[in-house]
Amino acid sequence: MSYRTHASRAEAFVLDHERTSWHDETLWFVRQKRDKAVYAVPEFQELRNLASAIKDHTLSQLDFYLEQFEAAALANGVRVHWAADAAEHNAIVLDIIRARGATRVVKSKSMLTEECHLNPYLIEHGLEVIDTDLGERIIQLRDEPPSHLVLPAIHLKKEDVGETFFKHLGTAEGLTDPQQLTEAARQHLRAKFLAGEVALTGVNFAIAETGSVVVCTNEGNADLGVNLAPVHIASMGIEKLIPRLQDLGVFTRLLARSATGQPVTTYTAHYTRPAEGREMHVIIVDNGRTKQLGRPDFRASLKCIRCGACMNTCPVYRRSGGHSYDFTVPGPIGSILSPNIDLKKHSTLPFASTLCGSCTDVCPVKIDIHTQLYKWRQIVAEANGLLVAKKLGMQFMGRLLASPAAFKLSGQLARRGLRLLPHALSHNQAVNAWAIARELPEPPKQSFRDWYAQQAPTPSA
Amino acid sequence: MSSSRERILAAARANKPALMSLPPPSDFGGDASLARFSEVLASIGGTVVRLAARSELAATVQQLFPAARLVASALLTPTLVVDQQTPTDVLADVDLAVLAGEFGVAENGAVWLPEAQMLHRALPTVTQHLALVLDQRQLVATMHQAYARLPAGPGGYGLFIAGPSKTADIEQSLVIGAHGARSLVVLVY
Ligand code: SF4
Repeated sequence: MSYRTHASRAEAFVLDHERTSWHDETLWFVRQKRDKAVYAVPEFQELRNLASAIKDHTLSQLDFYLEQFEAAALANGVRVHWAADAAEHNAIVLDIIRARGATRVVKSKSMLTEECHLNPYLIEHGLEVIDTDLGERIIQLRDEPPSHLVLPAIHLKKEDVGETFFKHLGTAEGLTDPQQLTEAARQHLRAKFLAGEVALTGVNFAIAETGSVVVCTNEGNADLGVNLAPVHIASMGIEKLIPRLQDLGVFTRLLARSATGQPVTTYTAHYTRPAEGREMHVIIVDNGRTKQLGRPDFRASLKCIRCGACMNTCPVYRRSGGHSYDFTVPGPIGSILSPNIDLKKHSTLPFASTLCGSCTDVCPVKIDIHTQLYKWRQIVAEANGLLVAKKLGMQFMGRLLASPAAFKLSGQLARRGLRLLPHALSHNQAVNAWAIARELPEPPKQSFRDWYAQQAPTPSA
Repeated sequence: MSSSRERILAAARANKPALMSLPPPSDFGGDASLARFSEVLASIGGTVVRLAARSELAATVQQLFPAARLVASALLTPTLVVDQQTPTDVLADVDLAVLAGEFGVAENGAVWLPEAQMLHRALPTVTQHLALVLDQRQLVATMHQAYARLPAGPGGYGLFIAGPSKTADIEQSLVIGAHGARSLVVLVY
């Protein structure tokens, strides 16, 4: 089976120049807001070190903290479930809902349930599942996956949202004012919240010592859903654990500043015990995470707190859009998580990077993202996943760059050749994908080496 | 066949790296002033209103929210009594909730609201408008100090609330009043 490459999936997105530029500039603007918030905290770099160390420690004791969390949660009256994979997770959710005889499910943002494809599964089984985060609701109505970790509808313009709401929520045709569109969604979703029977949430942090789960939102949709519905189901990956409540001091200071440049999310909710007469469930999910934990080069990817900073800063993500990654988590972090899940399908993602390292620079938990991208490339190449043209090209360049004489000769040939060669040949798009959207600069008359040799030697002092 | 629980724990045990140390809790000091708190809260869409005395609460609320018909509160005479048993359709009509915040965080404008002060867990988000009453001596500088104030844990349910509910999901345009409270006032005495 052959899979489409990242570049080919990005083609549709980049066709619309205006939209690509808007996407690029908007995310860069978010990156700048992040910088402003970060520079206002003198100890920010120390916080990154602390966050990284706390996560490293937790991963090195993960079995211990999982058991500690479970024991504390059970003592709080929370029901704890374990799911080895997506299928088991989805089956557990369905069982809980069925046991209550419920049909109306309200859901707040959770990348894990996206990863497990929970929505289609529940809908197939006859349930109504409503995403309540505004961005998520928009893309749910459009039947699209999210294109960003924290800004799920960032690929859309207000005209798209207006059209979607006109079709599904009965707003006026041509309405594009964000304020009015948001108000329409508020009214529509309020009815869903009030009628909700089961509330699903993700988990930003799980505290081992207290058995609490912490959910951060700006809209308040998680709290509204959970506190109005009789049943709360929280789905968490095993990597969400942190040891102590006190550690949240570090992570709540980093998360929103890194994500959107806010000093903190509007709501930081700590769910520890169910309200009287209500149910709270936590599902602890593996789905490939323990395997990633066993890969020394890549286990640091499990430290991710899903802030999205690495995609906001990524020159490739900004210009190719989240859907081009065809994975739940797009951008640089998605490109190092996805090969662990399916190396063949996602083999081109580690190459969707300039290796500039900007992702690593902004990551609040100091994941060495660009180093991991480079290491995945080695593994993909080893597994023969490289395109033939790329492989031959690399071999050729490797030999050329290893020999000074060959390098010198090739430079001379190229400088002369490029002047003489017809453009159609040097930029032949059938063999040279690079040339599809790029032009070579005018070749210089002489090489640096020749120029240098001609310079008068500097008198030594 | 072993259960998923046993398999996940066994895999975590087998695949985890060598022990790395856990850094001790940190505290970087910082500015815990009301001026800082007010400035940050204003920047995220909230408002600080100073009460000359706690006894002015009712009059100030009346002045700030003249149109609020159904007001839920344990701090002043409510027009609607809310407790943990209040049904959803009644909660849905609350115009204003006036609740006691425990302490505020100057670096981000957040106020800690424990379950005991909420009347009903859904009230802080289901109400159209929210007013939190805060003793100005109860301010800390950062989230480190905030969590240090919760040695017994966060309770059954607890919230840090920083400003009104908001979203920027449509073209990154900031809109106040997504699903939770449309406005947030912190009444400081
Ligand atoms: S890898 Fe780092 S920067 Fe990227 S989403 Fe995760 S925590 Fe944020």
